[in-house]
Amino acid sequence: MINLLKYLALSVPFALTANLASTETIGPGGESATPSGLVVVSDDQVATVQAANYTAALLWHDQSDFVNAVTSGASDEFNRLGIEVVAITSAGFDAAKQRSDIETALAKQPNIILSLPLDPVTSAVAFEEARAAGISLTFLSNLPSGYEHPADYSAIVTDDLFQMGKQAADALAAAMDNQGTVGWIFHDAAYYVTNQRDNAFKTTIENDYPNISIVSEQGISDPARAEEIANAMLLKNPDIGGIYVTWAGPAEGVLAALRANDNTTTKIVTLDLSEPIALDMIRGGNVVAIVADEAYELGRAMAASAVLDLLGQTVPPFVVAPALTVKTDNLIDGYRRSLNIDPPASLLSAN
Amino acid sequence: MARKLTWLKQVEPQRGIIYFGFLAIFCFFAINLYDDGFLTTRNLTNIVLQTAPATMMAIGLVFALSAGEIDLSFGSIVAVSALSAAVAMQHYPMIFGVFAGLGTGIAIGAFNGLLVAYLRLPSFLVTLASLGLFAGIARSMTDLRSIPVINDNFTGFFGSGKIFSIPSLVLWTIAAVLIGHVVYRYSRFGAHVLAVGDNAQAAFVSGIKVPRIRLYVLTLCGATAGLAGLLYAGRLQAAKYTLGESDLMTVIAAVIVGGTALNGGKGSIVGALLGSLLMGMLNNGLIMMGLKVSDQMIVRGLIILIAVAISLRAPNR
Repeated sequence: MINLLKYLALSVPFALTANLASTETIGPGGESATPSGLVVVSDDQVATVQAANYTAALLWHDQSDFVNAVTSGASDEFNRLGIEVVAITSAGFDAAKQRSDIETALAKQPNIILSLPLDPVTSAVAFEEARAAGISLTFLSNLPSGYEHPADYSAIVTDDLFQMGKQAADALAAAMDNQGTVGWIFHDAAYYVTNQRDNAFKTTIENDYPNISIVSEQGISDPARAEEIANAMLLKNPDIGGIYVTWAGPAEGVLAALRANDNTTTKIVTLDLSEPIALDMIRGGNVVAIVADEAYELGRAMAASAVLDLLGQTVPPFVVAPALTVKTDNLIDGYRRSLNIDPPASLLSAN
Repeated sequence: MARKLTWLKQVEPQRGIIYFGFLAIFCFFAINLYDDGFLTTRNLTNIVLQTAPATMMAIGLVFALSAGEIDLSFGSIVAVSALSAAVAMQHYPMIFGVFAGLGTGIAIGAFNGLLVAYLRLPSFLVTLASLGLFAGIARSMTDLRSIPVINDNFTGFFGSGKIFSIPSLVLWTIAAVLIGHVVYRYSRFGAHVLAVGDNAQAAFVSGIKVPRIRLYVLTLCGATAGLAGLLYAGRLQAAKYTLGESDLMTVIAAVIVGGTALNGGKGSIVGALLGSLLMGMLNNGLIMMGLKVSDQMIVRGLIILIAVAISLRAPNR
């Protein structure tokens, strides 16, 4: 499950440029998104890369299913290209540790660094030595301040944020036969990732589904308060048809509120895979769909971007991996495509 | 079996474990990572630079633990101090930033100390509450934003620069350890700290102002955490609310492995330095060995567990 902290790390640089009313995911400098599927190291280039004996360091911000899947995607691509991964680190969301990790990894003189810069301000200094050393830097979802493409980094690779919100809206609307009332529980903080996803849901409902009205809007900053927020929403709107929840953590609280109210009719849609949420969905509960990112593909695209950069090709500056709507009928495939793992045993046995 | 263990009971490994442990782990990494640059001056210097803020905090904690107290709040103090300094330097010269950072640390330390010394509240609970209180304040101070520090004199003096060709963080480490060691071992204050930690009642009867010592050690903890905040701000050229948050367990482990007793009356500043360097060396070496992150955590945890177990092994009586 991808937790709130992921969003804290994924958020900051784009906040300055994010256009929340946009109908597509745009980069920090307003760059249009390039689908990750277009960033590929061709078979013709493999022998050249293998002969170069490149090495790579994966310097992550934290540990999670998401990071494991990104690592897996990158490692498999590096393996195909004969590139050795010489260091893998986790900064635990500590900017000081991320700088230490970079310094330590530099002792192994990697040609490539894949990383999620924790913070544009602190990361600008932390990656400076690597930038000066001419190491190919590829960033996940975040950009150190003052770094220019293509001189300083090969690409930023991230989720297709608008599509995640849009697909959540489409899934909820379909479950409600395109009519009724919905509640919108959004992340009440200035974070680019969650803001873009949340607003994409709202924009899609307002623009594409005239017979669905958003009757309640409630921000949330602490996932632990989701249940009480949902209770208040249900108290005011007992017949509400559906609820969008900004990510899976608070969705678990909303689900608890629906169960406590013996509500089996209100539909839930949320983002990011979570075992309890998926279990409710396949048991025919309130959850109708989960929209996830393709973390494994993010890793593969990061690795490919870095290698193409080393080969002297200019990679598109802003690369996005597709969003994925997971329902009961594609649960196994959804877990594999998103996290590169099989669903947990509880889901397999209930499926 | 009992006979076989007799020789073991005569050994007091806790006295020298940090030295042997440090040397053994250093040799292990030196041999296994010889071709990977572990022994390069740059890498070894990096370890000292990376552990400098933790070493500052460890020195303060040695005093607190030796007096029978504990400070769990230094992680939050680091963040608030660093942010105070960074915010001050956005508007005023460097000296104001330094005073703001250090002053904040001292003030929070004194706040903890007053509650412990004169309201007789347990330091564990007071500083646990402070940890949360000031973590919240750190978050609200700048609305979660990082504050850049662009004063070159500050960043050079407190983290990123060199003085006489020696990295400033190395000099800070040497100076803090020297001063800390002299005060701890050779001053009246150091003797009083140990006396209070060993037996507060006896210390009181012998004329030592026990509450004042408790106030001083917790204030000192705040001061060293404030200094650590300045060093982080200088090294990262920015301040952020997360600074120091992950240091709590590392610093406690460093101090305990370094031979400081959890229940007071015994400690070592040099041991704390070596404990801090040991933690940094473990991070560095395990990453360079190419282990997965989960494996790094397991190996680091096991080594710390073994070292702490030996360090805390009850002495023969």
